[in-house]
Amino acid sequence: MENIVLEARNITKYFPGILANDHINFDLYSKEVHTLLGENGAGKTTLVNIFDGLYYPNEGEVYVNGKIANINSPLDAMKFGIGMIHQHFMLVDTLTVVENVVLGFQKQGFRLDNNSIVKKIQEISEQYNLKVNPYAKIWQLSVGEQQRVEIIKMLYRGANILILDEPTAVLTPQEIDSLFLIINKIKSDGKSVIFISHKLEEVLKVSDRITVLKKGKVVGTVNKEHATEKELALMMVGREVLFRFDRKPTADGKDILKIENLEGYNDRGVKRLKGVNLTVKSGEIFGIAGVAGNGQEELAESITGLRKSSKGKIFIGSCESTNLLPSRILKKGVNYIPADRIRTGLIPNLSSVDNAILRCYMRKPISNTFTVNFTKAKDYANKIITEFNIMVPRLDAPVKLLSGGNMQKLLLAREILEEPILLIAVHPTRGLDIGATELVRKKLIEARDKGAAVLLISEDLDEIIMLSDRIGVIYDGKIVGLVDSKNAQINNIGLMMGGSKNLNVQKG
Amino acid sequence: MLRFEKRENVSTKLKMFIPLLSIMIGLLIGAIAILFAKINPLMAYKAILVGAFGSKYTFTETLVFATPLILISVGLILVFKMNFWNIGAYGQYILGAILSSYFALFLPTNIPKLLLLTIMTLAGLLGGALWALIPAVLKAYWDVNEVISTLLLNYVALYILQYFMYGPWRDPRSHGFPLSKMFADNAQLPKIIANSRVHLGLIFGIVAAFIVWFLIKKTKLGYETRIIGGSKEAAHYAGINVPKDIIIAMMISGALAGLAGMAQISGVIHLLQIQINPDYGYTAIIAAWLSYLEPFTAIIVSILLGALAAGGYQIQITMQVPFGIISVIESVILFTLIGSEILLRYTIHLEKRRKT
Repeated sequence: MENIVLEARNITKYFPGILANDHINFDLYSKEVHTLLGENGAGKTTLVNIFDGLYYPNEGEVYVNGKIANINSPLDAMKFGIGMIHQHFMLVDTLTVVENVVLGFQKQGFRLDNNSIVKKIQEISEQYNLKVNPYAKIWQLSVGEQQRVEIIKMLYRGANILILDEPTAVLTPQEIDSLFLIINKIKSDGKSVIFISHKLEEVLKVSDRITVLKKGKVVGTVNKEHATEKELALMMVGREVLFRFDRKPTADGKDILKIENLEGYNDRGVKRLKGVNLTVKSGEIFGIAGVAGNGQEELAESITGLRKSSKGKIFIGSCESTNLLPSRILKKGVNYIPADRIRTGLIPNLSSVDNAILRCYMRKPISNTFTVNFTKAKDYANKIITEFNIMVPRLDAPVKLLSGGNMQKLLLAREILEEPILLIAVHPTRGLDIGATELVRKKLIEARDKGAAVLLISEDLDEIIMLSDRIGVIYDGKIVGLVDSKNAQINNIGLMMGGSKNLNVQKG
Repeated sequence: MLRFEKRENVSTKLKMFIPLLSIMIGLLIGAIAILFAKINPLMAYKAILVGAFGSKYTFTETLVFATPLILISVGLILVFKMNFWNIGAYGQYILGAILSSYFALFLPTNIPKLLLLTIMTLAGLLGGALWALIPAVLKAYWDVNEVISTLLLNYVALYILQYFMYGPWRDPRSHGFPLSKMFADNAQLPKIIANSRVHLGLIFGIVAAFIVWFLIKKTKLGYETRIIGGSKEAAHYAGINVPKDIIIAMMISGALAGLAGMAQISGVIHLLQIQINPDYGYTAIIAAWLSYLEPFTAIIVSILLGALAAGGYQIQITMQVPFGIISVIESVILFTLIGSEILLRYTIHLEKRRKT
């Protein structure tokens, strides 16, 4: 650790009604990974947006290499060698990797000299182990690959300080590991990284130093050597966090969901479900573990009727429900927390009220044959918001203004209050902070205790093991193993997720 | 040095102020166009104001121009809310006019006035609705881009009108002009203001605005439209029957445009001709947009655009300003208003670079 490459002194930033950053001091050494840790709304993203020139501080200064830096735009930031990779990637889907890398790059002349660009991209790829096909179009790439393109883009432009805003929220465990290798390479090459996350385990793995933010203030900065998960959680949340939940013993309920030899295709016509068999009983949480892209989302969409399956049968209760309309399946008491909560589960530009009644607007008491009673709708939204402790600026404010955790709480509340007989939850805590994660998990268990059948799909293996009664491992469109969570061994599940079969598990 | 920063919150005051500011800027730019016609812009704007609001008569003319705009724009608002870009009000207007003319021209003349007008009103609604049904079904079941289909159908509608006007419906006594014969008195919408051309269509428009407001704010259909407009994926997820909603909303939108066509020929022109001012179908898009998709605001915006048109005709006569200038001003205001959205979304700081 030598010289300071980036320093923030007394940064204060307020938005109407919110003090997002309150006199924050932060420094970054060269060859360092410095993590910003904090719950959603703690001010992490605001601070790095200031470094990237998207926001301008109301007070305080940013110093780059010891000199005051006046950063007015991301373009300015690039001039200071600061490159930011946003949580939602800034890539053009229909363009190739090469085109995205040079898009908007000021030193690029009028003519695109493809050969030299490709050569440089390949150099960077090799140097940092960022494998990606330069001629591929962005939409053809997996999320992990798209992230690599973003990193290449920044390195191509000569970034010296990389900011990664919650980069792991969208990645699989394997992709996270390879991202960490990349980060280490970047670090050993003399560059610095600001890493944002609220997953404690990851943070301890990758960082050199950790600064914890809470409600816009710095709680403290600790070296990795001196930090423990428990201590960081306490700093972050301000209270002890539950890592275990009380629950009723597993009941032997009746079969609610039964799937036989289900097959189906994804949007691009690739076969993703290749004969899924599973049963979920009332009063249990059935967890599906697996690496992303092995058919999990297609499975959830097939059950809920959002995707047509090509073969096989689905039974809900005792009736067959294969390929029924989504509205028919909904009426059977199936509720769904989709992976894409911002566009599918919620309508970002509409109010909390409009979003809260999405499942019950067609029924009494919210509506009559023709009209919707928005006074009652408001009451209902208020009830949800109080019961689940959701923070909203105003009831009629668009939900896109809510933090990720509050959005998910709203979605979960809406689905759970329908008292479903079958609840399907896909990545229910992805990207959520500790407080919200805890609440979501508690509510899923409550639903189970009340007798709902819960199908939990998650890439977070710890979460699966913590919450499930039984676990099915999905690989390449099939359930390859079934495990009772009481004697679940993380290693075995991990191996099955990678495709190894029949590791002392009971079949069923 | 300009620096853009995202706004987190927009106050209502700002929402009112910025459009007014951009209209002012639009008028300033419009002044340049007027200067090219070698006319003092201040005089021209004053003449427009006088021409639109100067006397009782000119104000009633403003209302006559505003009537079809109100009817069409409130219908457009309903489908624009669901991100269905109906550019076809022009054609729907024409079909409403044609279908209602059929009854005006070919039913026996001794039919009671109330009955005939009711039939014509229904025919106007139906003509527009059926014409709108085509792009709606194409969109609902085959995802055909509605901007293209509605736009192209406008030309088809115009050719259908030309066929009737040059063909079977041409009045033999029109000396070869493409005009139908005059409507009998029982096919003419009654005037609602004495000694003016303001007809019952204005009431239709206000009622339509109320109905559309009610649909959007109070009904399941309106709620579902908002969901569909907000996110197609969410509408699907919620189990909403999207094709059904597209078809219903689009038929309502088309019906109101068709009614505007009926009201125009029955209330103002009293015959069918090629020139039935079908530009209203496009100007109403501007009106819907300028009103931020609020039906009651659309009434006010329509009256203002009507004033611009009425005043425009006045200065065309009194100052020899070409009417094209009025279109230029209309368009420039639309541009400045759309451009002003950036002011609602960002704060812009003008500042000197600090020394580094």
